Amino acid sequence: MVQLTALDWFWIVAFLALMIACGVLFHRLARRSEADFFLAGRGLPWWLPAASIFATHTATDTPMWITGVVYQHGLRGIWYASLFPAWCAISAMITTRVFRRSLAYTQAEWQSLRYNGLGSELMRGWMAGWGIFLNMFILGWVGMAMGKVCNFVFGWPNWLGLVLFSSLCAIYVMAAGYWGVVITDFQQGVIAFAAIVLASAWGIAAAGGPRAIVSRLETMGEGWRLDPFHFSGFFSGDFPVAWFLTMLFFALAGGLGMGTTIDWYAEAQRIQSARTVRDASYSIWAGSAMVLVRNSLWTVAGLAFFVLYPGLQDAKQYEMGWFRLGFEFFPMGMAGFFFATILAIHFSTIATHLNLGALYASRDLYKHYINPAASESRLVWIGRVSSCAVLLGSFLLGLMMEEITRWLIFALWIMVAGMWLPNVLQAVWWRFNAWGYLSAWIANLGFSWLVVWILPAYQVIPELPDYLQFWVLLGLGVLVFLPVTWLTKPEDMDHLVKYYVMVRPIGWWGPVQREAERRGLLKAT
Amino acid sequence: MSWIQRGWTPEEADNWSREDWIAACLSVLAYLLIAMGAALSLLAMQVGFVLLLGGIASTWLMYYVIDPKLRAISSDYERKQKEYLRRVEKLTRWEKAE
Repeated sequence: MVQLTALDWFWIVAFLALMIACGVLFHRLARRSEADFFLAGRGLPWWLPAASIFATHTATDTPMWITGVVYQHGLRGIWYASLFPAWCAISAMITTRVFRRSLAYTQAEWQSLRYNGLGSELMRGWMAGWGIFLNMFILGWVGMAMGKVCNFVFGWPNWLGLVLFSSLCAIYVMAAGYWGVVITDFQQGVIAFAAIVLASAWGIAAAGGPRAIVSRLETMGEGWRLDPFHFSGFFSGDFPVAWFLTMLFFALAGGLGMGTTIDWYAEAQRIQSARTVRDASYSIWAGSAMVLVRNSLWTVAGLAFFVLYPGLQDAKQYEMGWFRLGFEFFPMGMAGFFFATILAIHFSTIATHLNLGALYASRDLYKHYINPAASESRLVWIGRVSSCAVLLGSFLLGLMMEEITRWLIFALWIMVAGMWLPNVLQAVWWRFNAWGYLSAWIANLGFSWLVVWILPAYQVIPELPDYLQFWVLLGLGVLVFLPVTWLTKPEDMDHLVKYYVMVRPIGWWGPVQREAERRGLLKAT
Repeated sequence: MSWIQRGWTPEEADNWSREDWIAACLSVLAYLLIAMGAALSLLAMQVGFVLLLGGIASTWLMYYVIDPKLRAISSDYERKQKEYLRRVEKLTRWEKAE
């Protein structure tokens, strides 16, 4: 437990008051329309959604994860955290433009524009349901990380930190919708970045400064930890070149796709809230660049923690490394400030996923299937009720987290590995259709169980490292979805032409482009 | 840099071009250099400062290449957006209204 003074409590109470006041201030804007409650009226300058992307992806569990991999792997651990956001490097210049021009609120809605008919409806319903569940899961996961921090600071049981702080955050999300999310995200992003700089700097200073960290690692015989490319072999060991190349390819080429990673869903909302295509592109680029700088700070702080506390074997101990640097080395009266910044980190992620989960529920399920003629005020009301439902669902999942995490990581892996290529193809190839996408989903469910669990259990194949699983699942999926795509009809040309003229996608769209030109909708090139 | 087009009409800008791919490559380069450069600079390694400067230079170059095109796309698209918003509502209807 950490001893807090009156000054510490002042920081915490002042921060909570500031965030909740934002909800009161912006609730008038949020209640104007669905577009205000979920996209802040589509009028934001690039730096607001950029700050929101940074703040959203800076969650309570992120420093635990990064400190953990850096403690284990040294500087090369940075790639675990920094290769994944690299998809934004391509997306900011390519697919962000495509998605912004579609004007779809969500990925699920984008698929209704890209495909049509029964297949499209099946996909929208499934995608919306999955989106709601995934947001609840992330809320539960991040909430439990907050529970662990509260246990460390106050000695509370884990559930109390989860329920208390997610509920406080929900006050301003329900009142002010995305307006509240994005304005507080900006404040929280600034506070979080300042705290990450300060706590990391304090930790680095406590370890003797940058040069001392380098020399002490070398004296300890741990100099390899300073090499970001310290590979264990091409295929062998715990950090093979093949893993690095797979992740690099997966991230960069994935930037050409739509919905390639689970992160796309939060980005999609920010892209649509930007006031122009240009603002959308810069927001995605800048938000992810801030994430990379943050990762670098945490990486060096992780090395400082290793120098200060070498030889820890228990992951639960070294994963708390960055938090320990703040609480143990900040001067008197600053522990409360540090906890307030942890709240900022926590609230920014919780707020995003509450609003995003509610967006799927109200836009893709309620408005699309139940009440297409719903008024704007009704949709805002449904948005608030949905936010509350997502919050309650997250409590349930958070409390089950220890039991279900392994299974859900597996489910996420299914999403990423087997659906990677279909997610790219749907954005760049006109002939790819809804049945190809759906068959990839269904086939991938079976293949994933086989490749990851069943065949290794019966020793038919060896247990494969994750990067090999990725290639195997990708190859098996191709054997199913390509024949299905070729054997079924292409999407309706009229629908595709409307999509093409509005969105102007990249890739192989020749027949659709020619048809649009023939109809006089585009000038012949 | 005459091989980089800096003046765009909205119609030209709507088509994908060499500038988009150059900007995407510079974007990747900038990310890698910033990530590595920031970490190594914080360890006071000279190579880190060089990489970080390279990252900043790549970012500026990316902006130089793509910004005129993005401005042209945006100015044109924002005029059409209102009509497109109506069209999206129709296109994605579950029950066909008409």
